[in-house]
Amino acid sequence: MTDSSKLNLSNNISSMMTSRRQLIKVSAAAAGSFSLGFALTGCATQTSRDVSEQGAWAANAWLTIEPDNRIRFVLDRVEMGQGTYTGITTLLAEELHVTPEDIEVEFAPAAQVYRNPDYGLQMTGGSNSMSSSWMQIRSVGATAREMIMAAASEVFQVPESHLSADAAHIVHSASGKKLTYGSLAKLAAKQDIPSEPTLTAPEAFKYIGKQNKRLDSRLKVTGTANYGIDADIEGMRYAVVSRAPTIGAELVSHNGEALAKEPGVEAVVEIASGVAIVANSYWRARKAEEKLKVEWKQDPEAPESTQAIFDYYRAQAAEDSGSSIRSDGDFDDAVESASKVLDVEYQAPFLAHSTMEPMNCTAHIQEDRADIWTSTQASDVAQVVVAKVTDLSISDVTIHNQFIGGGFGRRLSQDFVGEAAEISNKVGGVIKLVWSREEDTQNDFFRPASLHRLRATIDAGGKVSGWDHQIVCPEILDWFVWDAAPAMFPWAPKFMYPMLGKVGQITAGTPITPADTSPYEGANNLPYAIPSIDVRHTKADAGVPVSYWRSVGHSHNAFVTEGFIDELATESGKDAYTFRRELLADSPRLKRVLDEVAKKGQWGRSTEPGVFQGIAAHKSFGTYVAELVELKIEHGQIRVLKVVCAVDCGLVVNPDIVRMQMESCVIFGVTAALYGEITIENGAIQQSNFHDYEMLRMDKSPKIETIIVASKESPTGVGEPGLPPIAPAIACALFAATGKRHRSLPFKLS
Amino acid sequence: MQIKLNGQIIDLNLDLDTEGDMPLLWAIRDEIGLKGTKFGCGKGLCGACTVHLNGVAIRSCITPIAAIDGQSITTIEGLADGDKLHAVQESWMAHNVPQCGYCQSGQLMSASALLASNPNPNDDDIDAAMSGNICRCGTYPRIKAAIKDAAKQTQAGLDLAYEVKV
Repeated sequence: MTDSSKLNLSNNISSMMTSRRQLIKVSAAAAGSFSLGFALTGCATQTSRDVSEQGAWAANAWLTIEPDNRIRFVLDRVEMGQGTYTGITTLLAEELHVTPEDIEVEFAPAAQVYRNPDYGLQMTGGSNSMSSSWMQIRSVGATAREMIMAAASEVFQVPESHLSADAAHIVHSASGKKLTYGSLAKLAAKQDIPSEPTLTAPEAFKYIGKQNKRLDSRLKVTGTANYGIDADIEGMRYAVVSRAPTIGAELVSHNGEALAKEPGVEAVVEIASGVAIVANSYWRARKAEEKLKVEWKQDPEAPESTQAIFDYYRAQAAEDSGSSIRSDGDFDDAVESASKVLDVEYQAPFLAHSTMEPMNCTAHIQEDRADIWTSTQASDVAQVVVAKVTDLSISDVTIHNQFIGGGFGRRLSQDFVGEAAEISNKVGGVIKLVWSREEDTQNDFFRPASLHRLRATIDAGGKVSGWDHQIVCPEILDWFVWDAAPAMFPWAPKFMYPMLGKVGQITAGTPITPADTSPYEGANNLPYAIPSIDVRHTKADAGVPVSYWRSVGHSHNAFVTEGFIDELATESGKDAYTFRRELLADSPRLKRVLDEVAKKGQWGRSTEPGVFQGIAAHKSFGTYVAELVELKIEHGQIRVLKVVCAVDCGLVVNPDIVRMQMESCVIFGVTAALYGEITIENGAIQQSNFHDYEMLRMDKSPKIETIIVASKESPTGVGEPGLPPIAPAIACALFAATGKRHRSLPFKLS
Repeated sequence: MQIKLNGQIIDLNLDLDTEGDMPLLWAIRDEIGLKGTKFGCGKGLCGACTVHLNGVAIRSCITPIAAIDGQSITTIEGLADGDKLHAVQESWMAHNVPQCGYCQSGQLMSASALLASNPNPNDDDIDAAMSGNICRCGTYPRIKAAIKDAAKQTQAGLDLAYEVKV
């Protein structure tokens, strides 16, 4: 690794702080400047000359070419449905001149080389897997191909111009003779490492933009894809944990000893989060749990109710006008000269992630090492939580990451890994911890609830002259930083972990640490041409655990900003599409997607009786998406019938995966808009399973049509950007249907 | 107790008197060791654990093993005929259905049971048979298209077999 890993932290606090700027939540725009420096050069791909005894060339941390011509690729962005397994492999295939299907994909272990350069952590999230891999992985492929080509030139004794690389072979054009990459690997390793490998020109792409099949489909239709929950390790025992029934409650006592005679039970131990029962089967552990009695002491600070949290938000909003995030023009002047001032309140609830694969982890803690089998979005943060609950160092912890049965941000938090490690550390041996659905719902780190106060002014000429948006919600970094900060400094001794977290927390928003943009992202960059725009954030943390949830701040801010824009359209006497369009002169890509859905979705068409249209557009994670919905009200319920979606995500690597992600975001977003709401009473989460925390099902699923706007811009992400526009598009249609503004999620008709 | 699992007789070393309430799901996953059938909710609400009991789709997470002693169970591992995938599996791949893939074993078992009883389902039939299966990635539109396509393929296959016989 880099020399910096040898830095003595205490003597180099300033360099630590500099590194810290690469932290966690760098905005997409800033990402380039914080990059760890994977440039295009061959050196930057850290090309190695390592050849194993068997003749396999480990060209670098990502690529190994075996003598039998197998191409092995280490994927460092996790596969949780969003398509990295296919998309990033396609980048390698393109430059290496092999078919994507012929590459064997493995999931990366935790190692600094695999850090996401935008975050300085080995994290998959923020829809940046493709953008952060785009140059790097192509460069890996091109470097290896050029070295193989040089080796072949030596063998064939002809200039490289007489040779071509195709399907993992070098072909001598004149004779038609072929050599496999594998047979050339040993010699390739000895070639000069190209400082600037030549990347394939977009016109010559064979797979990028054309590859449509997913490489993980066969595994997933045959039940042979291994997820964390499928770990089956010799000697494994099973654990379940009884956790606090209310937020922050303390364990007082339990009758664990009485369980010793229950069938299969081997141990009952206290861990930080509750009481763990270890048994020789999962079911036996669960059965024994029915007899476990635990007394908890309620935390007097625990939030009383959801209502109380929103009251607290309102009080905070009144007391603290918030830190200014954006201030264009003078809103007070706009109010002075306004002919009308609108003043409204929006709100969005806490939401659970509800991944289909419940949280789980299999841990084996030994004296000198730890092995962790799980599905995680942040392998190096997982190492930190293991180190915290054991005597081990981060470097002792091996993460065996698996296919992920849904992430959506939930698996950025590593609480479940810490639990399994703690149990294994206490009782010894391999422990497999599996959460129930109820535990998964109630012990989530939720999408923060937020309150929004909005004002807008309309001048004498009927134009919108001012916009003032006050966002009231907690900061996610406050919850995330404690495990994430130490992951950035794996050489730091453990006693420094709390300090690192504290430094990260208190310096957020200063030159030392980037600000936590999660409260206001998607609100601060309002794209509409309004002369005065104020955006403010008032911090209010009610003590409910929060984290990143698919599209993060955009998930509420797009609803709020696009919802309010819709109100302003009506106030201005314009329709929702035309009004937006006129104010988007400076945002051609956003305007384009809006135009595309209006055209394809026939905005303003005469619909069947009872069917209403709505439209919205939003940019997030560098990608532009507009959506047009058609809905009706059926038996007092909102039924979304159809969604037309247009997306501009730059150059497209896998068109069908782009469509899949738009469909996925739409359904995830409709689910949240119609059903999603976690509520709290007396400190307890009120929802538990899919009967009271509902998911959209097939019979209510809309038809979805996706238009991909052709672009030559560098690729941006698709895992999240399809989600933010759907709630405001529904709100827009609901206003058409009911004549009432719906300013609170989830939408309720009565 | 014994069950027939994917065509094979399996002896389960479980005492039905004391452990007859163990859900079939955990017997399949932890006692027998087949991991393709997934745990999602434990309450029969999501369908991730769907298997066939004598050809009919059931939720294995709420089916006690005592209830299936001696009966025939098919899991996702038994859906293909050796290397020859079932029509729904082929169709799932052709339509790029799976995303995270976790719920798909259950989706495929529900879909294959549907086609076995109704070779030519319409939209309402598909909704009725599939709405017990949750997909958090939102693959429903593709599942629906894939089922229709599989139905066509199956029909074509049956017709062909009939002609060959004649």
